[in-house]
Amino acid sequence: MSEEGTAVRLGQPRAQKPPAEAAVDPDVAARARRRRSRERNLVILLRVGVVVFLIVGMYLLNARSGNLTMPKPSDVFDESVKMWSDGTMLRGLRESLTVLVLGFLTAATSGILGGMLLGGFRLVGRVFDPFVHALNATPSAAFIPLVIVWFGLFTEAKIIVVWIAAFFPILISTASGIDQSDNDLVEMARSFGASRFRVFWQVMLPNALPSILSGLRIGAAVATVGTVIAELQMAQSGLGGLLSAAGNRFEMDRYFAVVLVLMVIGTLITGGLRLVEYRFWNWRASQRDANR
Amino acid sequence: MRTGDGPASSGARPPVTGPLISLRGVGKSFKDGQVQAISDISFDVEGGEFVSLVGPSGCGKTTLLRLIDGLIRADEGEVLVAGKEPRPGPDLAMVFQSARLMPWRSVVRNIEFALAVRGLRGRERHERAMALLGSVGLRDFANAYPHELSGGMQQRVGLARALAVEPKVLLMDEPFAALDAMTRETLRRELLLLWSRRRTAVVFVTHDIEEAIFLSQRVILLRPRPGRIDEIVEVRLPERRWELDARALPEFVRLREHLWDRIRNMVREGAELEELGTAFPDAVPPPDPPRS
Ligand SMILES: Nc1ncnc2c1ncn2[C@@H]1O[C@H](COP(=O)(O)OP(=O)(O)O)[C@@H](O)[C@H]1O
Ligand SMILES: [Mg+2]
Repeated sequence: MSEEGTAVRLGQPRAQKPPAEAAVDPDVAARARRRRSRERNLVILLRVGVVVFLIVGMYLLNARSGNLTMPKPSDVFDESVKMWSDGTMLRGLRESLTVLVLGFLTAATSGILGGMLLGGFRLVGRVFDPFVHALNATPSAAFIPLVIVWFGLFTEAKIIVVWIAAFFPILISTASGIDQSDNDLVEMARSFGASRFRVFWQVMLPNALPSILSGLRIGAAVATVGTVIAELQMAQSGLGGLLSAAGNRFEMDRYFAVVLVLMVIGTLITGGLRLVEYRFWNWRASQRDANR
Repeated sequence: MRTGDGPASSGARPPVTGPLISLRGVGKSFKDGQVQAISDISFDVEGGEFVSLVGPSGCGKTTLLRLIDGLIRADEGEVLVAGKEPRPGPDLAMVFQSARLMPWRSVVRNIEFALAVRGLRGRERHERAMALLGSVGLRDFANAYPHELSGGMQQRVGLARALAVEPKVLLMDEPFAALDAMTRETLRRELLLLWSRRRTAVVFVTHDIEEAIFLSQRVILLRPRPGRIDEIVEVRLPERRWELDARALPEFVRLREHLWDRIRNMVREGAELEELGTAFPDAVPPPDPPRS
């Protein structure tokens, strides 16, 4: 009820501080900080525990069933060092990232633009809805033979495979985010005489941004999968090519070294996009903080 | 009373004779005519007048406001604002039951939204928004986000946003209904004070009879299914009501008794109105407040 104070002195200078700078009891703050950091340390400790558990598990499995079933973690490490130092991994990474980044960027651009059309124009949305969902429901690997026939086996064709994979999730979450925009806010904007154009850009689109960003996150994950599949199925290249070569020769330590890199890429991409979401959405971020 | 019958004269404003808002035999139904929301409603509001629409929920109060704002068109009859068919925009501004602030914009940017619709830019727009925030006592919260504000403060921002565009008519749809009793009382007084300074015409919707009497110069009592006018009563209370406890004045008590009588009659009149008793929180008027 802190606002009641301001109300009575309407129109006079106020001494109230904005909420962010409200005076806090240093003791309370310190205690809360301590509690949070204890929790954080516990989480980190448990995570390290999980990693140790996995490594020990790998050693045990290796001891029981041999190198083919499960390589020794130390061999995986040695192989990783070797692949990084002789440039194999770097070359593979560069090839993969080219396909992944270009495929994802085209998918993001076209998916967001298309989603704006589908969500912003009711008629367009209604006409295309069944087709979009049919195509989205088709596994993107199913398009690979067609892409090979049309575009060949190399980088451009792989980019197109990634684009197909990532396009639909981005398209659909953009369209549904705009379509399900907050009617109350739209009516508010219209009641002030805002044009359709302004309502779209300043109300519906920002309102849909969380949905668009989560579409991008899904799209990025799907694009990573698409990149590896394209590299396995088409002209072998990049990390997917390394993966398949190592697998075919049963060099499981090499195989695992590549898998580790793929895991890191996936984590970095989704983590990065989550960070963007977090920074961008001041209001959502602080809502989350409040719930901590 | 029609204007605009003659040839359109560019530049010269058509002389506005008669009331600022005028409704004549207005009817509106929804769902292809299955739900008759309101029927044959006629009343006028003069410039600078404070009029309340009172009635149980479902009697078409919101529909009336949306008709006056020009968000929807009447099926029958005629709605005129300043002699013309209303269009959302220049002359009208709405305040809603929930503040309807854009959560991704800071408080001041929310107000700037309405000003931008009016074509204000840059510094001027910002300063105007800050001035309005000052007038509702929230200057220090300009850069806060809506979720950091209490319900009462959010509602003040909604009011400031509406006042910012200097409307001829302020349309308020149960703006205080979701607030706690203390905040509600404070905001009523603030609203009266602001109105006494600005003399904007206000059409105030509420289902709280005391609130209607306390605030307005005229109370329009509606009855439901379909929404019709039951009675229009003048409120002859002193101007500066925020300075005293108007509820203790004999005129206030008399009006409240009278309006409750009408509502009890509504309840008695038909089986179809059975729910009415529950639509008003307590169909028996509360005892006179203790004189302070
Ligand atoms: N957009 C709409 N579609 C269908 N029915 C509506 C719509 N708006 C209002 N109604 C109906 O019209 C009647 C009056 O509604 P409303 O104006 O919201 O009443 P109030 O604001 O007094 O509670 C209600 O029966 C409601 O169900
Ligand atoms: Mg209503």
